[in-house]
Amino acid sequence: MKIAMMTEGTYPHQFGGVSVWCDQLVRGMPEHDFHVVALVATGVERPAWELPANVASVVSVPLWGRGPAGRKPGRTGRRRFIPLLAELVDALMDDSPSAPARFGLVLRKLFEYAQEESLSGAFATEEAFDEFARRWCERSPDGAPSRPSLHDVLTALQLLDHSLRALSHPPAPADVVHAVTNGLGVLPALTVKWRHGRPLIVTEHGIYLREQYLHARKGPYRWPVKALYLRFLHHLCALGYREAALITPGNVYNTRWERRLGARPESVKTVYNGVNPADFPAFDTEPEAPTISWVGRIDPIKDLETLIRAFALVHQALPDARLRLFGSPPGGREGYLRQCRDLAAELGVGGATTFEGRVENIRDAYEAGHVVVLSSLSEGFPYSVIEAMTCGRPCVATDVGGVREAIDDTGIVVPPRNPEALSDACLILLRDTELRKRLGATARSRALQFFTVDQAIETFDDLYVRVAAGLVPGFPDGDG
Amino acid sequence: MSAGTLSGLQQPVVTGALLDTPHAAPAPDGVDELCEQLAEVCGSATDPLEIAASLEFDGLNDQAVQAKYGFPDVFALAEEMHRRVPVRPVEPESPPDPWRQGFGRPALHGLLYSLPAVCFPAATGLLGGPGAITVLLVSMLASWSGSQGLAHLGYLRLGRGEDAGTKQVLRWGMLVLLAGVAGAVWVAGTITSARTPAMAFAVGQGLYLLSATVLMVLRAERLLLVVLAPGCLAGTGFLLLGKPSGLALATACALAATPLLGAAFALWLTRGGARLALSGNEVLAAVPSAAFGLLAALLIAFPVVPGWGAGGSGVNPGALLAAIPLSLSMGVAEWTLYWYRRRCARLLRGTGRVGEFRRRSALILLAALAQYLTATVVLVAAVVAGAVALDLVDPQWTSAPQVVAYLALGGAMFLALLLQTMGCRLVPLVACGVAFAAEFAARGLGVPAQLAATGGLLLFLTLYAAAVLCKAIRHG
Repeated sequence: MKIAMMTEGTYPHQFGGVSVWCDQLVRGMPEHDFHVVALVATGVERPAWELPANVASVVSVPLWGRGPAGRKPGRTGRRRFIPLLAELVDALMDDSPSAPARFGLVLRKLFEYAQEESLSGAFATEEAFDEFARRWCERSPDGAPSRPSLHDVLTALQLLDHSLRALSHPPAPADVVHAVTNGLGVLPALTVKWRHGRPLIVTEHGIYLREQYLHARKGPYRWPVKALYLRFLHHLCALGYREAALITPGNVYNTRWERRLGARPESVKTVYNGVNPADFPAFDTEPEAPTISWVGRIDPIKDLETLIRAFALVHQALPDARLRLFGSPPGGREGYLRQCRDLAAELGVGGATTFEGRVENIRDAYEAGHVVVLSSLSEGFPYSVIEAMTCGRPCVATDVGGVREAIDDTGIVVPPRNPEALSDACLILLRDTELRKRLGATARSRALQFFTVDQAIETFDDLYVRVAAGLVPGFPDGDG
Repeated sequence: MSAGTLSGLQQPVVTGALLDTPHAAPAPDGVDELCEQLAEVCGSATDPLEIAASLEFDGLNDQAVQAKYGFPDVFALAEEMHRRVPVRPVEPESPPDPWRQGFGRPALHGLLYSLPAVCFPAATGLLGGPGAITVLLVSMLASWSGSQGLAHLGYLRLGRGEDAGTKQVLRWGMLVLLAGVAGAVWVAGTITSARTPAMAFAVGQGLYLLSATVLMVLRAERLLLVVLAPGCLAGTGFLLLGKPSGLALATACALAATPLLGAAFALWLTRGGARLALSGNEVLAAVPSAAFGLLAALLIAFPVVPGWGAGGSGVNPGALLAAIPLSLSMGVAEWTLYWYRRRCARLLRGTGRVGEFRRRSALILLAALAQYLTATVVLVAAVVAGAVALDLVDPQWTSAPQVVAYLALGGAMFLALLLQTMGCRLVPLVACGVAFAAEFAARGLGVPAQLAATGGLLLFLTLYAAAVLCKAIRHG
């Protein structure tokens, strides 16, 4: 079977959890051919992953680099574009229940237009600017919190133009389309559905729209641009859920957002990430000094401050205790690493806390601790937790995303941003060898039962066949 | 049905839990306190989901919301918060204004464009004999067009952040163009049997212009003051002392030092460039700039040439007097250009109406043109007054029409420059070409031909710029 796999900013150009998952999936199904369509930033990115033989093609769609080749549309082309643009703005400003349907229709018309004319060129014309300004600025209600300026019009047009770049590419050849993200990554998938009538599967590890809302808080845009663009993404994500034959979130917690955005409950099936048990055999021994181990990117979203503060409390109770942090900051985030070091020194645990950097074999990181800790503010279904569980190490983790589903009662789940709760949980485990052993063993058996890569692959293999055959599974309520 | 519709989100479903919450009485439910903590998020939220995302990011989940606030889930709590906190978005910090510019740089540029003029009167000894004016003119035309093209290539690469590539293109561009200028001077000199000192001076002029271009692109204008120092100081001193023949050789050496120093600085600043082949597209993109440089040089120099333009048999003093302030005024042009862009950028952020932008940006354009012309009139007056005070010239009122013609040319050059920076490159180029062709064809008519050509050019470019630049999309 031919599977078109749509990614955004992940496989095969970047490392990270989603890319690991894509790689597992592709390698796990050598009998299927994968056509990868990757939304990238500029188009100069090189693949970071070695591609197996069944990756039949990789097409990069740059969102911010040079636009697709094509001249500005001629007079007829421009005349055809203006009503489409007008309808897009109207749909985005529409508060009535018909707005989502209007948005879906106009997006499809824009796709048909983009297959014949240069959509980017059409967005850059004076007529488009004037029409957009008339509809958006001059009609924005007097009570609106902030009115758009012509500069906002320029910004909004650019954002829409770049976001819709995927519509100008030829639809990928496939029997089933698998978008491994919602949002912009769903656009190239929709083109395949619209052109060839192929069914669509949407997988989300996080929640695209939630991340965009958080991202927009830090964005440089004025409120009207932010509001318009978030509405666009909101409609797009909702459309992705509506058009999908099947939605496969990486955890049950995410289904709340999906249903909120209009996903039909019977189309949602949770499929958990998995690891290869052969890579993570159980450990026989524990380190000598009581040790807490942490694995991940050194990044503010991992909330290492709370972890370090919690460890300072642990250290007061157990002066021998050590904290070992495995991982490095992504480029440009070195400042956060320094901040964490300073905090540890300030709290008097600078000596007991070690920043180990990247490890060659990730198992060593889990082996280094009596307890493996996760202090993140946001997660999908973190590999570090299920890998530690497979090794038989008990976890203490914050209650975010799918963490509670992964750990259940085989570790301790605590609220995020709460150093006291985190340290209490660590102390309970560090002081009780019996409990550690028992939880470690149950964690391992839970992981082997539910979170193996073979299960994930088998599930998708089965889903591909059934979805391609039009046998859309009727799952009860997305509880996997 | 669909919780996914926007309307569904913006007219939140009132749940049982919400009905139990007394809306009128705040405080006790703890939601107000939460609203205060998240004041920034709530005040700029575009819909309740934005608040929900923040609540979850802060670690609240459905269980915690039920236990702490009595709402069924995070979404219901977010809806209540969105209802309670009015949206009053804070304007984001405005980005640094790219068109902000003091007087210093443009003034320095104006000075740098016009200072070399001091060298010419001092060099009259070198410029004797047949063909001297011709070789000077050939060198000027070749090096103006060459340096405009080179500057375009340099800025193109700088804009792409290729520092090493910029250095390389500037270094080799300068050397290749120098060879071209020297070749052109040699051919012209041989045909007109010009003397070697005149040809050497002409090549020196070309070398100075090319190396000055390199220094300007690399933003090393201040070095240019050092470069100009020997030539200008020696030239001025030589003139003030009444051109003593004993100092002629020393002055010539000082004059030669200026282009050589410029070339040395240019070579030094462009060391360590990386080999980066020049693409055909890059060269093609530089052609309009080079052509514009050539046309500008023709329009300025043509009337000065004795027996060719409107000047009669000798070098026309009126034309010369106007041409010098014109190069000074390019500093004013630069400053005014930034002023115009700054005002238009502010207008773009200040209005949401296309019609209003059209009207007001046209007024800004006219104001910019008036500003440039006024400043240039003042410069011309100052230069003439200075020259009269030093007894260098004896101005006659009959020169006035030609001064006006140059003023019009200055205004046209300013508009052409402005249009080029806004991406309209072809029309100003063609217009300048037509103007020069007209001036050349009617050269027998003298000053009126020049006046008609430059005045017509100014009028056309004003109308064209007003029509094109009032489109807001051009200012993006």
